[in-house]
Amino acid sequence: MAMVVDYKHDSSFPYWTSIRRRFAPDSPFFSSGNIERELLAKQVALDFTEDERNQLEKMIDTDARGVFCPIVGCGARLTLLEDFEDHYNTRHTASCSVCSRVYPTSRLLSIHISEAHDSFFQAKVARGYAMYECLVEGCDLKFKNYKGRQQHLVDKHKFPTSFEFFKKAHPSKKQRLKNQRKRAVNKKDEEVPSKMEVENEMMEGLVSAVSKLSTSDSSPSTVSFGRRNARGLTFVPRSIQPPLQKK
Amino acid sequence: MADDSPASHRRDPIKSSVGNVAAQRRRQNAVTVGKERRESLVRAKRLCRVGPSGDGDVPGEENDMVTDEEGFLLDAQTSSAVEDLKSAIAYQGKGAMQKRVNALRELRRLLSKSEFPPVEAALKAGAIPLLVQCLSFGSPDEQLLEAAWCLTNIAAGKPEETKALLPALPLLIAHLGEKSFLPVAEQCAWALGNVAGEGEELRNVLLSQGALPPLARMMLPNKGSTVRTAAWALSNLIKGPDPKAATELIKVDGLLDAILRHLRKSDEELATEVAWVVVYLSALSNFATGVLVKSDAILLLVERLATSNSLQLLIPVLRSLGNLVAGDSHTTSTVLIPGHEITDGVIKVLVKCLKSDHRVLKKEASWVLSNIAAGSIEHKQLIYSSEAVPLLLRLLSTAPFDIRKEVAYVLGNLCVTPTGGDGKPNLIEEHLVSLVQRGCLSGFIDLVRSADIEAARLGLQFMELVLRGMPNGDGPKLVEQEDGIDAMERYQFHENEDLRNMANGLVDKYFGENYGIDE
Repeated sequence: MAMVVDYKHDSSFPYWTSIRRRFAPDSPFFSSGNIERELLAKQVALDFTEDERNQLEKMIDTDARGVFCPIVGCGARLTLLEDFEDHYNTRHTASCSVCSRVYPTSRLLSIHISEAHDSFFQAKVARGYAMYECLVEGCDLKFKNYKGRQQHLVDKHKFPTSFEFFKKAHPSKKQRLKNQRKRAVNKKDEEVPSKMEVENEMMEGLVSAVSKLSTSDSSPSTVSFGRRNARGLTFVPRSIQPPLQKK
Repeated sequence: MADDSPASHRRDPIKSSVGNVAAQRRRQNAVTVGKERRESLVRAKRLCRVGPSGDGDVPGEENDMVTDEEGFLLDAQTSSAVEDLKSAIAYQGKGAMQKRVNALRELRRLLSKSEFPPVEAALKAGAIPLLVQCLSFGSPDEQLLEAAWCLTNIAAGKPEETKALLPALPLLIAHLGEKSFLPVAEQCAWALGNVAGEGEELRNVLLSQGALPPLARMMLPNKGSTVRTAAWALSNLIKGPDPKAATELIKVDGLLDAILRHLRKSDEELATEVAWVVVYLSALSNFATGVLVKSDAILLLVERLATSNSLQLLIPVLRSLGNLVAGDSHTTSTVLIPGHEITDGVIKVLVKCLKSDHRVLKKEASWVLSNIAAGSIEHKQLIYSSEAVPLLLRLLSTAPFDIRKEVAYVLGNLCVTPTGGDGKPNLIEEHLVSLVQRGCLSGFIDLVRSADIEAARLGLQFMELVLRGMPNGDGPKLVEQEDGIDAMERYQFHENEDLRNMANGLVDKYFGENYGIDE
């Protein structure tokens, strides 16, 4: 294959050179291919009409032989509906065994436990160690106090100033005891202890049902069907005493 | 759509203890909401953002058009629903949870009726702080789901409406966690995807709040609508222009593997979302490009190009391939080695794209070919002798302008040797002669006549090759025959100095005083 070599290159002419051309994703070069995609930049989640829903009902598969646990990454198969509750409690809830607060990740739960229930943690804080971790995964910064961590979240990570990692439960313990006594006096009052607000309130119906069965004066909020105590001491650091039973 | 939901609630438990009733009820409720949501996912319509000039509305279905009266009513109902939610949240008595969920559901329904939800009314009534409260840790799944759904649709509209979600972001991100109920995590991902789709500023906020790692982890399972939603959200999150997020994403443990798995095996809809993630990874991050090139990605992209006919899928897959070729010299030098099966496969699928009816595929396939043609001499020979050239020649004379320009790059690249160190490429006479004989010169001269500076430049450069390189001094004659002199003389007094000099230089050199005299 012959090539032509030109010795008399006129250096001012920009000769054709074969080079790779790369474009940024927002380059106009790609815009015709992006048109449809741009329409999908935001998507509304719409409801179905009644008819459409009925149609889909017929189409949706139901597995008669059991349920799959719906939690991200689990995939466990359970043969009876009631097994699900146990499975869920033992495998998936990141709930604090001391105060029953629930968190969406194990990491947040363990941060909560250290900060709220660990006297060892508090001792180190008192001695000036930076113990309060930044909540953002991968940040790894630590602070000497809750407020300092909070400020960091706002300044560095643009958290809203209203964000509170540790929310106090409503109402106060005193108030709850008061409510408890009130209930003992007035059996018609089936108000659920407001402590329940801290945990999954599906239990609410549960407890009121139990209180109807009970012959005793107070409806104990210590009634728990696996949700709170099943994993009892698993998350509790060794330095913590088993929690006093709640009112 | 994979069905990974809990089973039908029609089964009666054998034991009827109170505990089971409560558990059953909880799951029933979550299943109902989850089902409604899944259905809406399937039907998620595209929301068209109205441009600054007020146009750009995609005509929706007739029943989505909301009249003024209906709109007014909807707004009133929405404000009222927000008020209901407010009092439901304040209420702490018996049945508080159910009250909250009912209020949320009512608001959600108002916000999900049409492509144009009454977002402004909701925001004005103060929906956001209430919804943020509903996202607090430990809230029931149903509540989280409904709140996240409301936020999703609020974020799907105008920029300032999307920005209104700022206070909710840390909680939405937190609920992507591994302990979350799957439909909840998915709905949060959807909301976050809308936020990321708004623009760079919000993207940076999300990244600084740690949104990337949990979203990335949601892509790891094999199937499910959650994977698809997470991939879509991620594609919005990493689209830059800052390459940092793309680089961070490819480093997530197991993510490359998941991408390859989805490209290889998943259904076209999921593969499409994953392909867009690859588009951004390969366009923005050199590190990610390197990782992808060393993996099976190219092979899998070629497979998809060969087997699919879905334009939605072909576009990002082709572009990913193009980005990998353009972004890393290793692609052509170590992977797409001439003579190897994979290289033949690439040429084959690019030819398939050239043959397609779709403008985008033809244009971008030509672009990819031009980059391969910028490789070694063997690459140029490979393309030259392939089925691509006759197609390219035809496209050069008949296709729309943007395609012709890319085709020009391919053909021109075939005619010059690789750019050496001294920057003086030599001609490949055999290729040049053949292509000119097959009539490509007129196409290039047409480019010279176009208004596009880049195209005109290409045309002039090719003309130079012809003038210099055609044997027996045939160049000038051929150029003259195609009215090339005329085309060049248009630039004699052109405002663009570069083009002026190029054109005048060629005319002076090849069509000077002595031209034609020796004939």
